[in-house]
Amino acid sequence: MKGVLVVLLGALTAGTAAFRVDRLREGSAPGYHLLYLPSGRSLKALTFGYEGLVADLIYIWSIQYYSNYQIQDRYEYLDQIYRRVIAELDPHFIDPYLVGSMIMSVEANRDDLALKLLDAGTRNNPREWILPFQAGFLCYNKLHDYACARDNFQRAQAIPGAPAPARRLFAEMYNRLGDKRTSLKYWAEIHDTADSGYVRQVSWMHVHDLRLEVDLDDLNALVQRYRESHGSFPGSLRDLVRAGLLDAVPVDPDGNPYTLSPETGIVRSQARRLLQGR
Amino acid sequence: MTRIWAIASNTFREAIRDRILYLLLVFALLFMGFSQVLSLLTVGGEEKIIKDVGLASISLFGVLTSVFIGVALVSKEIERRTIYTIVSKPIHRYEFLLGKYCGLVLTLLVNTSVMTAWFYLILFLKGFADPRLLLAIALIFMELLLITAFAILFSSFSTPILSTLFSLSLYLVGHLTWSLHLLEERVRGSGGRAICRFLYFALPNLEIFNIKTEVVHQLPIPATLPLWALLYMAGYGGAVLATACIILRRRDFT
Repeated sequence: MKGVLVVLLGALTAGTAAFRVDRLREGSAPGYHLLYLPSGRSLKALTFGYEGLVADLIYIWSIQYYSNYQIQDRYEYLDQIYRRVIAELDPHFIDPYLVGSMIMSVEANRDDLALKLLDAGTRNNPREWILPFQAGFLCYNKLHDYACARDNFQRAQAIPGAPAPARRLFAEMYNRLGDKRTSLKYWAEIHDTADSGYVRQVSWMHVHDLRLEVDLDDLNALVQRYRESHGSFPGSLRDLVRAGLLDAVPVDPDGNPYTLSPETGIVRSQARRLLQGR
Repeated sequence: MTRIWAIASNTFREAIRDRILYLLLVFALLFMGFSQVLSLLTVGGEEKIIKDVGLASISLFGVLTSVFIGVALVSKEIERRTIYTIVSKPIHRYEFLLGKYCGLVLTLLVNTSVMTAWFYLILFLKGFADPRLLLAIALIFMELLLITAFAILFSSFSTPILSTLFSLSLYLVGHLTWSLHLLEERVRGSGGRAICRFLYFALPNLEIFNIKTEVVHQLPIPATLPLWALLYMAGYGGAVLATACIILRRRDFT
């Protein structure tokens, strides 16, 4: 009887103490100590060959931690947890790069950290197209940093197994940067090598509009050159041929000739831009 | 050879009656099953988590089995004084030791096979079965063989508790020897560097048997690595067992 009483008393004391400690730590998320882990490289020494498993456990904890909206300051150690701990413990674990960068960008609004994490992932896993692709998409869609997007899509599309949109986005980023000529070159390549009707149709729309804009830019530049040498605008585009500036009068992508206004010196086309309003 | 086999089969029978073996085995199987629960808590990475937990269970519980059963094998015979009966028979002490070792290796083989079968059942049900994992398990088994040799060495001259401590410490040190390489680069004096280098080669390098990351991430593994690992285990393990034989031979059991 005495023994049972001692057991009950012990259980009661321990239960009360545990409850009090929980109250003292109220507001701290479970496993918050993990936020103060040293870098993954140092931690690796303590995992004794189980670094993959330790990385899994910290990643699983991070999902629970960062999805707890009651923790106000939960985004303070994002870089530490994902880039310095998990990525250094298991550099080939792809999901933490993707999920971590998404939390950084969408939830914490720290696109700089997201890009740093994805860059680290790309360096550690040069054969994984998804990492530069996600970085490219972040630069393109959220930051509107088209040079950054172009560089990342270029990396992604060069990796075997990359999906076709990576190549199309790479071509389009030149257009967004104002380099229509290079964009046209890549869109034309996509069109010529298209293996589906959909890709052929989409790429044709880009080639069509870019061809139109490049032609108009070129023709208007030739009209200006003509004016500089002749003192007036040419009467028609045939004058450019006669002056040796053009081999023949070009036609637009729809097969119609370009027209020149002799009064303003502006070259126009009747062709409708296929991507307008899209 | 017959005498070694007789002791080995007897050791195997003795080991499979040991409750620790079943306890560890059940824990390993539960731990592997638990990977299913863990994978529910994550976003992506389910396959990796199941594979990591499975391989870690086979490795960790295999090490615990080889240490806990390995250290008891010789020391129990000495404590219970049954060794006096054995050495009085026409049997060499090295045969006794090798028999004990082979018996434990057989036990570990059965143990690892059961864990592997369970692991593959989980992988198969999930559609993640990958034959390359067998290579990682084969190397884990080689690691267990080396640790078992150490457990037997320690138990030939020390108490079971100390032998367990020594063996587990050696397991931890064996996974840290790479840090001696780093230390060597930072130490300035040539003497210090020589000590680091000596320790690096003298201490067991258990990371040789660790290809878990490569297998889970499907990274390339040098084709000759398993062969070199086997040679390392055979050479190092042979030397450790030979040392244990020498120690046992010098002990007075009369």
